[in-house]
Amino acid sequence: MSAEQVAAAANPRADDVRTLTHQVWTTYLGERVPLLFVEDNTFVPDWSASVTIRGAWDGMVSLETTRAGAQGLTRALLGLDADADDLADSDLVDAVGELVNMLGGNVKGLVPGPSRLSLPLVAAGRFAHGSQQARVVRLCSSWAGEPLDVTVHAGRAKATREHR
Amino acid sequence: MKILVADDSRVMRQIIIRTLRQAGYAGHEVVEAENGRQAVDLVSKERPDLVLSDWNMPEMSGIDALAVIRASGSTVPFGFVTSEGSDDMRARAASAGAQFLIAKPFTPEVFAQMISAVLPHTA
Repeated sequence: MSAEQVAAAANPRADDVRTLTHQVWTTYLGERVPLLFVEDNTFVPDWSASVTIRGAWDGMVSLETTRAGAQGLTRALLGLDADADDLADSDLVDAVGELVNMLGGNVKGLVPGPSRLSLPLVAAGRFAHGSQQARVVRLCSSWAGEPLDVTVHAGRAKATREHR
Repeated sequence: MKILVADDSRVMRQIIIRTLRQAGYAGHEVVEAENGRQAVDLVSKERPDLVLSDWNMPEMSGIDALAVIRASGSTVPFGFVTSEGSDDMRARAASAGAQFLIAKPFTPEVFAQMISAVLPHTA
């Protein structure tokens, strides 16, 4: 087995990431609206959240969605009415960050250890990934009519903040 | 009875508190901490009957908070509620003095099963 094959074998499989993503949504968000996996999404994300995994396997788990998607997720997690409009950006950061934290922690269980999970980093817009990182999983989905992408990149980011 | 919920995410603290109610622990007082350092302080000040704590938090991690709490002589039942539920994490939690580890995502049934061993349902 080549070095590339060994590295690829350590990466999480798309089916496993899909299963754990489905579990998170079914547990906390599925009662209202199911998460629908789709072939592709073409959108410019308003909100992105990521956690990094560092150790025996280096990588990043990210979640991208629209502002309306982030607002809907936040209302659902907080148990607010769908038309509640008193959300602050800090609420969106908290909710989207916690979702990617759950996804990242579960992905960490799929890859070789030991490793450490960072705190979530949430930003407006899209995260740029360096040449040292390669996308190994992309899950496109739709939730409450809004696009939502979950990606896993293998490789170490040049710099990540360890706080929110 | 008093339960301390420590998690840096306000959303997750609310979900945990909601799940406690669904698991049959609606009558207990709940106090909240945003990080491990706050949890250590509140264990000393509030004397909770149970601590439910995230692992990965700013300021002080849950595992470090547990070490400080145990070093202080406190035997308060302590359970992790964390996104990392590997065998290694469970072993580390147990060796540090945690009674259980609940992995996210969790259900009320898992809460009831884990907590019932250390806390009665009735307030």
